[in-house]
Amino acid sequence: MADADTLLTGQSKAGDWRSFERVILPPVRDLHKIDVYEAEADGYKALKDVVRDGKFDPKGLTDEVKASGLRGRGGAGFSTGLKWSFMPPVDPDKPRYLCCNGDESEPGTFKDRQIFEYNPHLMIEGIMLAGYAMTIKTCYLYIRGEYDDYIQHVQRAVNEAYDRGYIGKNILGTDFSMDLVVHAGAGAYICGEETSLMNSLEGRRAYPRIKPPFPAQVGVFGMPTTINNVETLADVPLVVNRGADWFAGIGPEKHPGPVLYGISGHVNRPGVYEYPTGMLISDLLEVAGGARGGKRIKAVVPGGSSTPPLTWAMAEPTTMDAETLREAGSSMGTGGLCFLDEDTDMVSFTRRIAHFYHHESCGQCTPCREGTGWLEKCLARIDEGNGHTRDLDLLLEVCDQMEGRTVCALADAAAWPVRWGIKRFRDEFEAKCRPTAFASGALGGDGATEQTGELTPTGVPTT
Amino acid sequence: MPQVTIDGTTHEFEPGAKLLQLCLDAGTEIPHFCYHPAMSVPANCRQCLVKAGTPIFDRETKEPVLDENGEQKINFGPKLQPSCSLDVTDGMVVHTQLSSQEVAAAQADNLELLLINHPLDCPICDQAGQCPLQIQAYKYGPEGSRFEFAKVHKPKRVQLGPNVVMDAERCINCTRCTRFTAEITETHQLTIINRGDKNHPMTAPGEVFDDAYSMCTTDICPVGALTEDYFRFQARVWEMAKTPTISDFGSAGINVDVWTKNNEVLRITPRQNLDANEYWMPDAARLIYETYNEGRASGPTLNGTPTTWEAAAREAGRMVQEAGSDVLFLGSAYATVEDNYLLMRLAEAVGAPAPQFVDRRGSQADDGFLVSDDPAPNTEGCLRLGMKPVDPALLPSAAASARLVYILQDDPVQAEVLRVEDLEGTPVVLHGTHVTHRTPATVSLPLAMSVETLGTYVNRDGRAQLLRPAKMVKAMNRSLLMAVGTGQSRNDRVGTPFDRWHDEANQVDCLPGWATIPQVAAALGVDLTFKSPAKIMAEVSAQPAFAGATHGAMDLLGVPLETEDADVPQITA
Ligand SMILES: Cc1cc2nc3c(=O)[nH]c(=O)nc-3n(C[C@H](O)[C@H](O)[C@H](O)COP(=O)(O)O)c2cc1C
Ligand code: SF4
Ligand code: SF4
Ligand code: SF4
Ligand code: FES
Repeated sequence: MADADTLLTGQSKAGDWRSFERVILPPVRDLHKIDVYEAEADGYKALKDVVRDGKFDPKGLTDEVKASGLRGRGGAGFSTGLKWSFMPPVDPDKPRYLCCNGDESEPGTFKDRQIFEYNPHLMIEGIMLAGYAMTIKTCYLYIRGEYDDYIQHVQRAVNEAYDRGYIGKNILGTDFSMDLVVHAGAGAYICGEETSLMNSLEGRRAYPRIKPPFPAQVGVFGMPTTINNVETLADVPLVVNRGADWFAGIGPEKHPGPVLYGISGHVNRPGVYEYPTGMLISDLLEVAGGARGGKRIKAVVPGGSSTPPLTWAMAEPTTMDAETLREAGSSMGTGGLCFLDEDTDMVSFTRRIAHFYHHESCGQCTPCREGTGWLEKCLARIDEGNGHTRDLDLLLEVCDQMEGRTVCALADAAAWPVRWGIKRFRDEFEAKCRPTAFASGALGGDGATEQTGELTPTGVPTT
Repeated sequence: MPQVTIDGTTHEFEPGAKLLQLCLDAGTEIPHFCYHPAMSVPANCRQCLVKAGTPIFDRETKEPVLDENGEQKINFGPKLQPSCSLDVTDGMVVHTQLSSQEVAAAQADNLELLLINHPLDCPICDQAGQCPLQIQAYKYGPEGSRFEFAKVHKPKRVQLGPNVVMDAERCINCTRCTRFTAEITETHQLTIINRGDKNHPMTAPGEVFDDAYSMCTTDICPVGALTEDYFRFQARVWEMAKTPTISDFGSAGINVDVWTKNNEVLRITPRQNLDANEYWMPDAARLIYETYNEGRASGPTLNGTPTTWEAAAREAGRMVQEAGSDVLFLGSAYATVEDNYLLMRLAEAVGAPAPQFVDRRGSQADDGFLVSDDPAPNTEGCLRLGMKPVDPALLPSAAASARLVYILQDDPVQAEVLRVEDLEGTPVVLHGTHVTHRTPATVSLPLAMSVETLGTYVNRDGRAQLLRPAKMVKAMNRSLLMAVGTGQSRNDRVGTPFDRWHDEANQVDCLPGWATIPQVAAALGVDLTFKSPAKIMAEVSAQPAFAGATHGAMDLLGVPLETEDADVPQITA
């Protein structure tokens, strides 16, 4: 957090966002139909340019994506071009796979479904380009099982693309062939974790795998695999059509591009909004019609339920890009913002999130399997007015026992909202607790004040 | 060879080693649950955390970067790492719980978490006393628990299959059992169901966990979640004596521990021997435990009337002497090398044809694992002694024309190579083990079973392995007890205060062949006395087919014998 002065300026980094022209979800009626997509959105032009007309060879395309600065939209924000370049050299005896991650299950995240519904061909075209860049012959498109309508809707789009020769054997008359298989997810949040998704695809129980080995070495069916989010892949045709420079020029330098913000919570017009990265959180509040009923916003969860909540004071000057959010004490996650107004009970809110992670922990590893339940039970007790202030310190310690000690990141995702909820809204938590009393005068008082040292006298947190 | 420093001590290692196994091999215990050397490494219990770092090298010069004291700088990552899945690399520096407070605290944290939903019913749990969770919680766990909520409830007393009962509340989700059915027996009968803290192993709906090796999961389950149905609530483990020996179940030569209390065999579990059964044994090899306790032939008889050992041996000796070279001797692939050897010596002394034995190879299906096509444990030992299998076509007439049939252990009638009628008019001397023996005996000298004797079996791969007595027999006098060998007899090491091994109630009145055959021989003036079966084996191991197979050399893991075809008479069917 060394660059604090340079990043947290309260200035939007999204440029002239008010006149931003939507490209992922352009306002075109019936865009999900292949004719409309071809006629009105340059549909499959990028694929033709690259695969048939040789605009890029596989390595050139990877480099172009690298140069665009595109970072994964699935949560971790890893450089997409770099990830592609981790694939080992082609071995003719070894199949290699692409997985498109459409499991979208994180609370507060609902952007991939918009792509499925309104612009599936953009994603399909992106998948084909990614396959070309990595010389892959099979892609699995893993769609959240509960998205039953979208699975069928996307399957229709895939069939259309097969019929036009954009997928399948000898695409556009070249010797590039690739299949795209739509796979219905197994109905658990954990299936969206990349290695768990691979187990699920293989028909196994969706337990995440330990890393190393990484998917690029040992992925689906033990073969080299790259996995990308739906929105990430949907950005690829845009990079090809408009150029890496265009993409890199949108939003902040280190985390550029158009992005789908899923806005929920106590706002007047919740929904999915396409804007550049680097939007001020306060501008996004305006975009979503402001706080409901003219209330004050108290807290913002900036990137899906696992990202640490920010107080409004922290969120207001913060922009939506990985670097700034990290410095502000949270994370970009999936770009799903949840605004919470002044009437929100932060204890109940945190409890509800803890319930989700308790319910969704796959149960494979001890700290997460046991810790998520402990967090929820303890928060429930506090929420119901039966907790003690010492419980807050216990919660923080349980978070310590979970974070960084598990197979996958779900345990961290479960611990962060609790840890930062308590740290940043401790006065609210304490207000719901009974003070801890000790029998011995020597100990005295609450005994749980260690962590409260951070609070200023007015109860406004310093971090 | 590359080196790694563990808690300040440098060790060499073979490239490809994983840290936990390396530490265990080097004698440093790291608490762990899910890791099992024979299976894949899921690193899911998270108990084996250590702090591991690698040396920092300068990017340009490739030289190691030194700190102000001239020591190589080590890059410890931000996270502790599970040692079971960690590849050891050259120059790695490792801190276990022994040298790092942080690691010790993390391990205690993990044990606290493992126990928050654990029922802690050690007082009624069959695993108590040998429970890795219990042991490691005491050794590495926190003082108490800070968990103040209702525990998760899960199914209890679930009969997963005929032989395995599950208590899901005790399960710590290590997935050893599911990996066993997926990777070892490949029946895939178990999987984990549900999510999060409701996880537990289960069969597919309507399926029964009837894997022929199902009880191996109870061995590797690190808690009392999976227990052997036959052994539930039979005894606390600390009340029993545990004897390392060899199973007489089939020719695989399964290394076992036999658990006894009050001279009854209550339980049989596999004992690790990577050259034989590895860690496993079939369920069927455990369920024979009752055969050692029940229906045993006890006390010598003469024409069905009880008599003394002296009188019976004298009578048997007289009968052998009378019949002279007309004795038909039958050895046994169930008897030890030592006993068969003495029988051969006896036959030789009276000038009778060499003993033959009933060959059971091919009498059952081979499962490709530890159940072979031969239900007898010592066929290979008999062959190596030079004994020939009986020819079922010739045996009846041989029995009819013999003046005496002398049988060691085997039951030719039951094996359907003889009928009772074939023996009409021919007296029989029998060293048998059970009252259900179908071959009628004129003189019966009950024989100790594999769990009561000291001796040698040679398995199908030519591995000579040593039997140790796990329970006492009534007739075993003091000198014989001594012969059993220091440190091995129950007399010397029966340890548990709960075990009434000296109580005669469950002792069978029988004797090993190496005790009775010399008695019979003595009655006809032949001296076959050996101070101990070890001495017999010392003599046998002078033969090339048994080279090296002394009791001392066999010890716990056995000795592979030379398998040159010339040494082993092969049978042509
Ligand atoms: C518990 C958990 C759940 C996840 N769920 C999703 C998901 O639903 N969709 C998704 O795209 N990524 C999800 N991820 C992130 C993926 O593991 C992976 O990082 C991502 O798909 C990579 O794509 P990207 O590089 O394009 O972002 C999840 C991660 C974790 C730890
Ligand atoms: S951290 Fe949680 S979700 Fe991830 S593997 Fe472990 S138990 Fe499963
Ligand atoms: S499994 Fe172990 S710790 Fe648990 S109740 Fe049984 S003996 Fe005790
Ligand atoms: S039943 Fe035992 S072996 Fe199976 S997962 Fe549970 S603890 Fe592990
Ligand atoms: S033994 Fe290493 S994580 Fe279980």
